Amino acid sequence: MNAIEIEGLTINYDQTSVLWDLSFSLPHGIICGIAGPNGAGKSTLLKAAVGLVKPQSGRIALLGQPLRKMRQRIAYIPQRESIDWDFPITASDVVLMGRYHQFGFWGRPRPADRAAAACALEQLGMSAFADRQISQLSGGQQQRLFIARALVQEPDLFLMDEPFRGVDLATEKSIIELLRRLKNEGKTILIVFHDLHMAQSYFDYLLLLNRRLIACGPIEATLNSQNISRAFGKSQSLFEEATALSAKTRLGMK
Amino acid sequence: MFEYFTDPVLRAPTWGCMLMCLAASLMGVLSFLNKRSLLGEGISHAAYPGVVAGMAVCAIDAADEGSLFFALVGALLFSIIGLWVIDRLEKKGKVHSDAALCFMLASFFGIGTLGASFLQGARPLMAQRVQIYLYGQAATMTDIHIVIYAALSALIVMFLVISYRPMQALCFDRVYAQSLMIVPRYLTIATFVLMLLSIVIGIRSVGVVLMSGMFVAPAVAARQWTDRLSTLLWIAAIIGVASGLLGNILSVEASQKLRIYFPHERLSLPTGPMIVLTGSAIAFLSLLFAPRRGAIPRLVRILSFRVRTVEENILKSVWKSKEISLKDCRACNHLWPPSLIFLLWRMQRQGWMTQAYRRYALTPDGDRKAARIVRLHRLWEVYLADLGWPEESVHRTAEEMEHILTPELEERLAGQLHDPKLDPHAQPIPEHDVVC
Amino acid sequence: MLFAKTALSPYWDLHFFEIFAQIGQRLLLLFQGGGILAADEIQILVLGCISISCGVLGPVLVLKKMTMLANSLAHTILLGLAISFLISRSMFSSTGFDMPHLLFGALIAALLTVFSTYVLTRLFRLQEDASIGLVFTALFALGIVVVTLFTRDVHLSVEVVMGNADALRFEDLVVAADLALMNGLFVLLFFWPLQMSSFDSGQSMMMGNRLNLLQPLLLFLTAASCIGAFRAVGVLLVLSFLVGPFLIARLFFHRLWHLLIVTPAIGIFASLIGVALARHLLSVYGLALSTGGIVSTLIALLYPAARIVSKFSRLKELKSN
Repeated sequence: MNAIEIEGLTINYDQTSVLWDLSFSLPHGIICGIAGPNGAGKSTLLKAAVGLVKPQSGRIALLGQPLRKMRQRIAYIPQRESIDWDFPITASDVVLMGRYHQFGFWGRPRPADRAAAACALEQLGMSAFADRQISQLSGGQQQRLFIARALVQEPDLFLMDEPFRGVDLATEKSIIELLRRLKNEGKTILIVFHDLHMAQSYFDYLLLLNRRLIACGPIEATLNSQNISRAFGKSQSLFEEATALSAKTRLGMK
Repeated sequence: MFEYFTDPVLRAPTWGCMLMCLAASLMGVLSFLNKRSLLGEGISHAAYPGVVAGMAVCAIDAADEGSLFFALVGALLFSIIGLWVIDRLEKKGKVHSDAALCFMLASFFGIGTLGASFLQGARPLMAQRVQIYLYGQAATMTDIHIVIYAALSALIVMFLVISYRPMQALCFDRVYAQSLMIVPRYLTIATFVLMLLSIVIGIRSVGVVLMSGMFVAPAVAARQWTDRLSTLLWIAAIIGVASGLLGNILSVEASQKLRIYFPHERLSLPTGPMIVLTGSAIAFLSLLFAPRRGAIPRLVRILSFRVRTVEENILKSVWKSKEISLKDCRACNHLWPPSLIFLLWRMQRQGWMTQAYRRYALTPDGDRKAARIVRLHRLWEVYLADLGWPEESVHRTAEEMEHILTPELEERLAGQLHDPKLDPHAQPIPEHDVVC
Repeated sequence: MLFAKTALSPYWDLHFFEIFAQIGQRLLLLFQGGGILAADEIQILVLGCISISCGVLGPVLVLKKMTMLANSLAHTILLGLAISFLISRSMFSSTGFDMPHLLFGALIAALLTVFSTYVLTRLFRLQEDASIGLVFTALFALGIVVVTLFTRDVHLSVEVVMGNADALRFEDLVVAADLALMNGLFVLLFFWPLQMSSFDSGQSMMMGNRLNLLQPLLLFLTAASCIGAFRAVGVLLVLSFLVGPFLIARLFFHRLWHLLIVTPAIGIFASLIGVALARHLLSVYGLALSTGGIVSTLIALLYPAARIVSKFSRLKELKSN
């Protein structure tokens, strides 16, 4: 059983095609980096995997089951920009939210949940900020906060959208160390990232996208100049036009 | 009908409404394109205390004439303040634009309500005048109104004509346009000022509460008919004017009918709601029926595409086996039998197929058509394989693309792939001249 | 409009601070079981209940960026109420403005708004701001036409947006109190789900099935609160109660459950001062002003005042550090 199995995933947005007939699978216990040019559909892929975006067609199986059966075992960490950091909430309350599905009948946190939240904060070195308003946290602290929230869920699969963006090097290193520990415990981690330089040292697997699958596999096999030029080059205008035409036809615009 | 335009009592309201809605619909297009349609709602509510203040100033003079002038100036002033308040809330107060707009709108309207109640006690006649600005009242307009509104609307139209090119750039990519200095700074400010002006002009006929309807509805309607900015503006203007005209007529006729049926209750329907209802109706009809973007034409196109897909698949399956019996056809195509029979019959009528002794075959035309589909399918497979697609999955998406690729795309495909003869499954690709 | 403020009222001719003294005395009297509520007291209580019901929903709506949708709902309730009355008139021939009517009208309004906006954005692929704008103006215009035709009361359309606090009766107080209780319970019971869906709607979509019921319920309660308030302050000024006190409270408090307590308190404070001011102006200057307008203006003025105060206190903090 693979950690993720995606088959024929097509996602359209407005009158263009964001992802087209994407098919790949990833095994357990790896850290996989997802890379591609802007607009390649990387964030959309993660969002579709957790059900935030509805695909036009295709099948997604996480840990062998469709999403609705696996919700509690998957943690999604969105891009930092998509969060309202002026929200009146403390760091520890944010982490507590990760335990929501374990709250009591009335949807209230129990002492065990609070203890778990405190523990997660400690793991990320954020205990000092537990009662701090999230608007007072730095970029790196914000990122660590979200990872703490994911940890508290005790998931088997982590989906992270650009966790390294705008984060200082020390935080980056500590995050990767934590992720490696998680990997050794058998967890699977998918990370959308931007800077190809980090790929070799951080990831076991690489998924290259440019609205379609370019390459997916162990990093030694996939990280080569041919794949990179295919991903980041400009040679698929015909493909994009044809798939855009398909998206328009589905909408009845052509 | 014509007396609405010429009769001394009726013409001022008629022309007045038409001119007011013209200005609002034009500026409404611009805010629609900037995705800030709700700004009109905020501005019109901000204008309300301005109207009250203006009337109050006029009342001090105890002057009756010129109350329109004071009301408009007051409205303009307060709308500017309102916009400034929103800006400060968003920038300094870190309030989200949604909440900033709502708070400003409610607060200013509250201030206006307070002022209106004060005026009610001090100068009841003025308070009555203020009240008509709530929902609009065209009936008491005079010829002077026509002149004023014509002049203001002409100002707006002239501005749009003069600054059309930079406006176009501003609408479609603000950051880019400003960075390239295509758009002088004053243009953004001028756009805002004219937006204010158009709303301030309009509130006499449509009223403060419903003004944003005439800001939004013509723009929404027009957008369904065209993609070009100049045509958008024209269509929105026409729809705005039509809504003003029809709404006014409806309001007058309905008020007359009401007076007949309920003579003692002195009822009337204010013009604002009727104009907005007309404009919204036009907008809904456009959303439904506009030829390219309307929902119904799109639905029709989607359905006919599905039918075409099924027909082409049938043609393909017949092409592969040269001729086919009904049973085999059914096995290949997984269709409800009656619809299959219907489609086969249809294709015979259209000249793609023939039937003899319960076996179906293709006509030469049908053969060419089917060959073309197969060619597109296999070309696409080659293309995908070229891009690095795994062999097992090229077939599936080619099944979809074969119905979508246009002749132009086919030509480019063939050119880019250097006219391949075999697809990834080593099957021959029909030649271009065979197909045509 | 003046009948409620006649010389029979115990607040007749009182100055600003005397009013509060009188309130104190009347409270004692009422506790001892005597007397009926005077018009001013009903106003204070109704506005207070509105402050509570709007003050607990307001923070959620602002944080979820749904205030313009609330604006839309506030307009659509007119049509909802009109339909509710039409139906009840033909079915039960009742003419009262009571909870069942209100709730039914709110339900219709919420359904109409949500359904139309959904259809416009999903099926017709119209941008969200234009959908909201088109829906509420069209439905509100329709509401005005229906109301004018069927009630044949020309002033209703004006009262709907302005309210008439002086015409409030005891039944209105009951309605307002019920709504305050309902909303309070809603926010109390569902605090954590509401907080989560306001902060990170994506994650809440992922996590909860229970959470999917909250949004419609929230919209329904907002519509109900708007209806419950429109007789007092009118459809538009309800928005003052929904948004203003929260923006003020946010300058000083930073945890959601604090805010849920402070926001209604600010609304109650503004209502108290507002009613007292209205009475004062009537007694001293003979000016009969709209209470709703006064309270709304007060809330609007409290915001910049609060901003200045918060800036000072932050400067002091920085200096002392």
